[in-house]
Amino acid sequence: MLDHFAAGKTPVHRLDPAAKTVATLAVILGTVLVGRDHFLPLVPVAAALAVWHAVGRTPLVYTLKRLLVISPFALAVVVLFPILEPGRPVWTLGLGPWTVNVTEEGLVRAGHLAAKFLLSAWATLLLLATTRFQDVLQGLTRLHVPRAFVVQLAFLYRYLWVLLDEVMRMRQARAARDGGLGPWRVRFDSGVGVLGVLFLRTYDRAERIYWAMAARGFDGTLHAPIQSHMQAKDWVFLAGAVAVAGAAILLDKGIYG
Amino acid sequence: MAEPVLELADVRYRYPTGPEALRGVTLSVAPGERVGLVGPNGAGKSTLLLALAGFVTAEGLIRVAGHTLTRGTARDVRRHLGLVFQDADDQLFMPRVIDDIAFGPVTMGLALDEVQVRVHEALHAVDLEGYETRAPYHLSVGEKRRAALATVLAMRPQILALDEPSANLDPRGRRRLIELLGGLTSTLLVVGHDLDLILDVCQRTVIIDAGRVAADGASREILSNRELLESHGLELPLGLAARM
Repeated sequence: MLDHFAAGKTPVHRLDPAAKTVATLAVILGTVLVGRDHFLPLVPVAAALAVWHAVGRTPLVYTLKRLLVISPFALAVVVLFPILEPGRPVWTLGLGPWTVNVTEEGLVRAGHLAAKFLLSAWATLLLLATTRFQDVLQGLTRLHVPRAFVVQLAFLYRYLWVLLDEVMRMRQARAARDGGLGPWRVRFDSGVGVLGVLFLRTYDRAERIYWAMAARGFDGTLHAPIQSHMQAKDWVFLAGAVAVAGAAILLDKGIYG
Repeated sequence: MAEPVLELADVRYRYPTGPEALRGVTLSVAPGERVGLVGPNGAGKSTLLLALAGFVTAEGLIRVAGHTLTRGTARDVRRHLGLVFQDADDQLFMPRVIDDIAFGPVTMGLALDEVQVRVHEALHAVDLEGYETRAPYHLSVGEKRRAALATVLAMRPQILALDEPSANLDPRGRRRLIELLGGLTSTLLVVGHDLDLILDVCQRTVIIDAGRVAADGASREILSNRELLESHGLELPLGLAARM
C-alpha cells in the first residue's frame, strides 16, 4: 500500500496534514530553485528529510523500494545528459560510424538533476508515509485545492485497488485455462480482450457508483466534512520546512552569487 | 388499512437494447411491512429496484412515501427510499467509512451535529463502532455489507430496499445480517435468492417472473409451496425442506 506506514503514532504522524502538505511543497520548491550544478545548498534539505525520516520511523527499505519504483522516469531523462551536454570529454565510445562523448559537464548536470529528483521524491514519500491518504485529501481541501480535483484523487485511491483486483482475477481466470503453450498471437489477443472487458466493467461500475451516490441525494456538489485546525506544533513544523527551503536558496545565492 | 408506503401500478420497462424487463408490475406495500421479492435470474427484480429510484425510467405509476415518481421528483423519492446495492464496493465510494455514512445526511443538508448523531446511530445499528476511519477497501465482505447498509440507515429512509443482501456472506455474517434486519423498524424490500433469509425476515413474499408478479402472499405459504416455487425456477428453503 501507498500509505502502509501512515497509521503510525510518531510526533510527525500526529501533525496536521495541511501543514505537512505545505511543508513538503516548500521543501520541493526550495530544492528545485537551487541553481544548476550546485550541490552544497541541497545538503540542508537532505539533512531535514533525514530527520523527518528518522522521527517518523519510516523503514529505510520502504523508502528505497519506492524510490526505485519511480526512478526509471527520471533515469530516462538523466541518462541522456552526459552524452548530450557539450564539454570536456571524459570518455569516448565508438559505435560503428558514430562516436559518443561522455562529458564532465554532462555528468555533473546528470548527477545534480538526479539529486534534486531524489530529494523531491523522498519528501513526497515521507509525506505519504507519515500521513494517511484521506488526511492528505482533507489537507488539500483545507488548502482550497479545487474540490473536483480532490474528489478525483479520492476516487482514484478508492477504486485503484478494486480495479487492480479485477485485473488480477481476470488474469488468473485466463491463466487457469492457459497451458502456457498457445501461440503468442492468441495470448496477445486474449490480453487485448482482458483490457476491453476491464474497460466495459469499469464503465458499468462507474454507472453503479453514480447510482449509489444519486440514491443518497448526490446532486453534483460535494460537501466538505468535519475539519480540524492547525496548532502551535504544526506551525513550528511548517516554519522549519520553510526555513530549510529558504536556507537552500540563500546558500545557493551566498556561495555561488 | 394504512395508506401504502409503496405503490406500483402496471410498471413497465424495456431496456434500450431490446428485452422487456418489466411487463406490468402491480404491487402495494403497507408501512412497516417486510416483503421478499424472489424469482429466477433475469426476472426483473433488480430492474424493479432501479425503477423505484428512478434510475431507469419505467412506464406506469410508482408512488413512494406519497411522492409520485417523475423526473422532477426522483430526488424526493430517493430521500425516502434507501437503496442498498448488491456490490458493496459500489456503495462505499468514499476514502473512509465515516465519510461514506455521512454522505447521505450531508447531502440532505442536515446540520453537522445531526449528521454526527446519524452516523453514530447507523454505525451502532450495524455493529461497526470503531470503524469510523477505516478504509472500505480493507474491510471484509461482511463488514463492507454492513457498512453499506449503514450508509443508507443514516438517512432514516421509510423504505429500505436491499439487493441480494446475503450474497457472498459466510454463515456467521449471514446470521448477523438476519438479526440486524430483524431488528429494523422501517419497511423492508429484500430482493434475492436466499429464501431462508426471506423466510426469517419477511412476512410477505412476492414472486416475480418474466417481468410480472407471479404470486403474492404470506411467506410461510408461498415458500412452502414446492410446486409453485419450482415452476418459477426456485426451490423450497432448506429450513422448510428439512421439516417436510
